[in-house]
Amino acid sequence: MDHLQLAAHTFSSRLILGTGKFSSAAVMLEAVKASGAQLVTVALRRFNREQLEDDLFGPLSELPGITLMPNTSGASTAAEAIKAANISRELSGSPFIKVEIHPNPQHLMPDPIETMEAARVLASEGFLVMPYISPDPVLAKRLEEVGCASVMPLGSAIGSGQGLASAAMLSIIIRESSIPVIVDAGLRAPSEAARAMEMGCSAVLVNSAIAASDNPAEMAAAFRDSTDAGRRAFKAGLMRESREAVATSPLTSFLGEQS
Amino acid sequence: MTILPDWLTDNNDCRELKAMLRNRSPESLETMAARSRAMTLRRFGRTMPLYAPLYLSNYCSSGCAYCGFASDRTTPRRKLDEEEIRREIAAMKQLGIQDILLLTGERTAAVGFEYLKRAVDIAAESMQRVTVEAFPMSVEEYRELAGSGCTGITIYQETYDLLQYEALHRWGPKKDYLYRLATPERALEGGIKTIGLGVLFGLSDPVTDALMLYRHARHLEKTYWRGGISISFPRLRPQTGGYEPTYPVDDHLLARIILAFRIAMPDVELVLSTREKPSFRDGMAGLAITRMSIASRTTVGGYLEGESSGEGQFEISDSRTAEEFCQALRSRRIEPVFKNWEPAYNGPSRNTLPCS
Repeated sequence: MDHLQLAAHTFSSRLILGTGKFSSAAVMLEAVKASGAQLVTVALRRFNREQLEDDLFGPLSELPGITLMPNTSGASTAAEAIKAANISRELSGSPFIKVEIHPNPQHLMPDPIETMEAARVLASEGFLVMPYISPDPVLAKRLEEVGCASVMPLGSAIGSGQGLASAAMLSIIIRESSIPVIVDAGLRAPSEAARAMEMGCSAVLVNSAIAASDNPAEMAAAFRDSTDAGRRAFKAGLMRESREAVATSPLTSFLGEQS
Repeated sequence: MTILPDWLTDNNDCRELKAMLRNRSPESLETMAARSRAMTLRRFGRTMPLYAPLYLSNYCSSGCAYCGFASDRTTPRRKLDEEEIRREIAAMKQLGIQDILLLTGERTAAVGFEYLKRAVDIAAESMQRVTVEAFPMSVEEYRELAGSGCTGITIYQETYDLLQYEALHRWGPKKDYLYRLATPERALEGGIKTIGLGVLFGLSDPVTDALMLYRHARHLEKTYWRGGISISFPRLRPQTGGYEPTYPVDDHLLARIILAFRIAMPDVELVLSTREKPSFRDGMAGLAITRMSIASRTTVGGYLEGESSGEGQFEISDSRTAEEFCQALRSRRIEPVFKNWEPAYNGPSRNTLPCS
């Protein structure tokens, strides 16, 4: 079977959902179900133990077959992210932590230096660390070295809908990586999820494109199908693109000549 | 003589914004609304973080001509003691509020830094997020407030028009235009994470004020790159002091200004308070606004005692209950969010030195 393997955990779905931007918890839950996702991420700042109707964690934790991956969105330093990871594990019981550290709350770009430090500490403490990063091939390898369960490079800026603007860098990360590469952020259309999977990504994470759709459950199902299609195409092996014209007079006819 | 910094008057960065504000055709407003709506939805999704203000005190040492709490008004003065602060916060929590904005007037002997810091300490015990709208402080004071759990400071310049500013701020510490202008920078240097900027529309030419507000925000973004920026759009309402706006801003122009800011600053939080009427708030919620106040009281002690008309800082136009307002948001497919912060992230941020 073709499964997504994250440390000792296996998932048959390769679509991961973000949960933060939906018009209601009910709509979000419908989308999660329609997506077939088995792994979903939820921000610690949206855990609300005091006010259950405002809480995203509770309803998600009751969904059968779902593994929760808390995230540290809102943290701007390694120290804050480490603290948040520990609180998240305490509250959710999940070994996964999506390390998201963006010191600038406007553009939400991940801080590579703080992310590296948080990942190193959290991996050594036994977390399954899933770091959200800029598509930097060297950073991806450094994170692999300290024991991350995956790397999650952005396709393009969060909420930008610019798809795989980082495709060239992503392809280097995919080629070099020995841990799963999961494209996180920027995907707008299911076709972009399919393309990421065709490139050899292990999974994709989608939030805005589904939450902002007029019909989130239907869009979630479309992403489910396209992620699956892209993966199957990757496994089957894409026909090679023809990049070079073939010369009418053979260029290598000299080979084998006697003198 | 007061000399404005170059970044406040530089025209290079705001041509598109200026064009959007100068064009007053109804068609252009519709086009802007469509663009702003799509940008807001893409970046912020279908959620609306909510907060509520708590007026700690209406003591004030300044003489702002337009404010009901100015020091020459006959408004009865009062400040909440610690027990009263706890009771007001408990009443706010009953309404579901978990994100609180603490307010005072300009610094006085009765209400100074120690009092404010104590109020932040108390609020941080039970609220998920605490921000402050009070008097300008020093870098060291801001660092202490951040340590107590204050994550954001709101400080409006009121108007960037220097002549109007000096005429309207008749006496008191607020009369110093440049000191107030530099307040967000001191707060960021002190480790405050988010700065709320704004002008009080109605005090001066709204287009000029909007452009200078934009330049101020851009200057902070570039200089203190870790700083969060939010922009509010208060408009002069009937005040206790009876001040009439010299440059009234109607609904169409205010909407145009808000939409233009969303388009010019796609990632910045835009805030709208209960000064505005329900139809305007609900409409703008889906188009550009990404943070709103709810169930607000603008009198000292207003959550427990109820609001007595004419004594607040300004009159509230949206007096719907928390539940009614949430229902209105939900009917527009927007999820009200009461907790959108995690106290684990509290504490001074690293905004110690500006990028030069």
